[in-house]
Amino acid sequence: MRTIRQSLQVARKDLAVELRTKESLNAAGAFAIVILLLFSFAFDPAAEETKEIAGGLLWLVFAFAGALVFNRGFARELPNECLDALLSSPLSPASLLMGKASANFIMLLVVEALSLLVFGIFYNMRWWLRPWELAGIFALATWGISVVGAVFGALTVNLRLRELMLPVLIYPLLIPLLMSAIVLTNTLLANGAMTADQLIWVRVLGVFDVVFTALAVALAETILVN
Amino acid sequence: MDPHTLALMYARNFMFMFYGFSAAWLIVAVYVISLARRGARLKKELDDVRRLTDSADSPL
Amino acid sequence: MREKFVVGLAAAAGLLLAFDLYRILLVLPDEAMQGAIYRIMFFHIPAALTGFTGYFVALILSVLYLSSGNLKYDSLAASVTEVALVFSCVNIVTGSIWARVIWGIWWTWDYRLTSTLISILIYAGYLMLRRAIDEPTQRARLSAALSIFGCVDVVIIWKSIEWFRTQHPGPVLSIRTGGGNIDPAMEHMIYYNLLAILMLATALVLVRTRQEDISREIDSLRRTANAAERNIA
Repeated sequence: MRTIRQSLQVARKDLAVELRTKESLNAAGAFAIVILLLFSFAFDPAAEETKEIAGGLLWLVFAFAGALVFNRGFARELPNECLDALLSSPLSPASLLMGKASANFIMLLVVEALSLLVFGIFYNMRWWLRPWELAGIFALATWGISVVGAVFGALTVNLRLRELMLPVLIYPLLIPLLMSAIVLTNTLLANGAMTADQLIWVRVLGVFDVVFTALAVALAETILVN
Repeated sequence: MDPHTLALMYARNFMFMFYGFSAAWLIVAVYVISLARRGARLKKELDDVRRLTDSADSPL
Repeated sequence: MREKFVVGLAAAAGLLLAFDLYRILLVLPDEAMQGAIYRIMFFHIPAALTGFTGYFVALILSVLYLSSGNLKYDSLAASVTEVALVFSCVNIVTGSIWARVIWGIWWTWDYRLTSTLISILIYAGYLMLRRAIDEPTQRARLSAALSIFGCVDVVIIWKSIEWFRTQHPGPVLSIRTGGGNIDPAMEHMIYYNLLAILMLATALVLVRTRQEDISREIDSLRRTANAAERNIA
């Protein structure tokens, strides 16, 4: 479909720009490591209880680092009026939004992979016990966060207090997704069984992703029209 | 439970009930007062701007 | 004419509330297990219903704005959201006071409390967003989008947090339980109070909407004055 092809073009452009400068990735990655370090002071890495809350720690780190990535997403188009150019081009607003979301998705996944490595080292956790399921959960949750981040990145791009408004707006909205991701990650890191109860959380992730992607596509023109 | 403790419990219950009612009404009252103040400020501002546009029209 | 209606509505709400207070405090008996504190419920439940109804009404108004472009819908949506937020705060505070007596704690991470708190945060963000945008059409557009996202999310939040263990009392209204959980006199009292609070909320919304309209008029008059000045100069 044309929209998908256009979105991929936008995503490829964003990732190419990012790979050249690596500003978002460096900032988000460094931020993630610093937060993990701070957490290691707040929560004793050797204690058993910390292993139980490992999922929560990880997803908090991803949420905070994500805000940095999303802020840059649309803000990078502001100089030289690139955003106006994009909006006046034949590109549909929905493909622009989905392209940004896809770029966010890839970048956030990179940050998550890095954080997982560092986390494994700091907290002495073997996170590779259930790799495919963990990857699946990470993909589902990260897509949800990326879509919401792209939508609100677009919404707040022209505001004075963009860096403040973006986190304030997205964190309450992301709570059901973060909750599900935390519960599932905790189970997988502890190598627990995926019971029927756990599968409910997977369904919550799925519903969140589908509903918010649909809403984003439907409201893309509203949010992005100049 | 002995009657004395029971009486104390009932008294405490009543006290908290009034706290609850007061809290509810306080919140609504604060909002109504803020609405009233905003309304007065807006009315004053409207009058000011109306006067400004009238005086801007008259020299023409 | 409209002001008379608002004053009349507020007066009627006030009278009904006064009558309800009389019945709540002096006529209805104490509840068997809870004592006097249960009477908070007569404000707690209607405030909760008013709050959440407000969020849904704001959703509908936002969609109406987006499809028609008429800024009146935006004024109404903002006012409804603000008043709903006030009553949600009443909901949480009264619930907290009740919990202190019955459970001994001011707060617990039960699903209704948590969902209500998150909804308050989402709509507080809505009001903050509105304050951050000066241009009326852009403000209306972006707030409408946020209102839609917010309301859909509130529904998802409710359902997903519900799967956690809950400490909050289960449903008591007979429309949900089929009767038997609550004395009919008390249940009717809840509905009467709900009516009174809805009337009060409507009066507040009408006042607030008028203020939004005046604010927009001031804004457009200022632009006219600026343009006129520039013409003269």
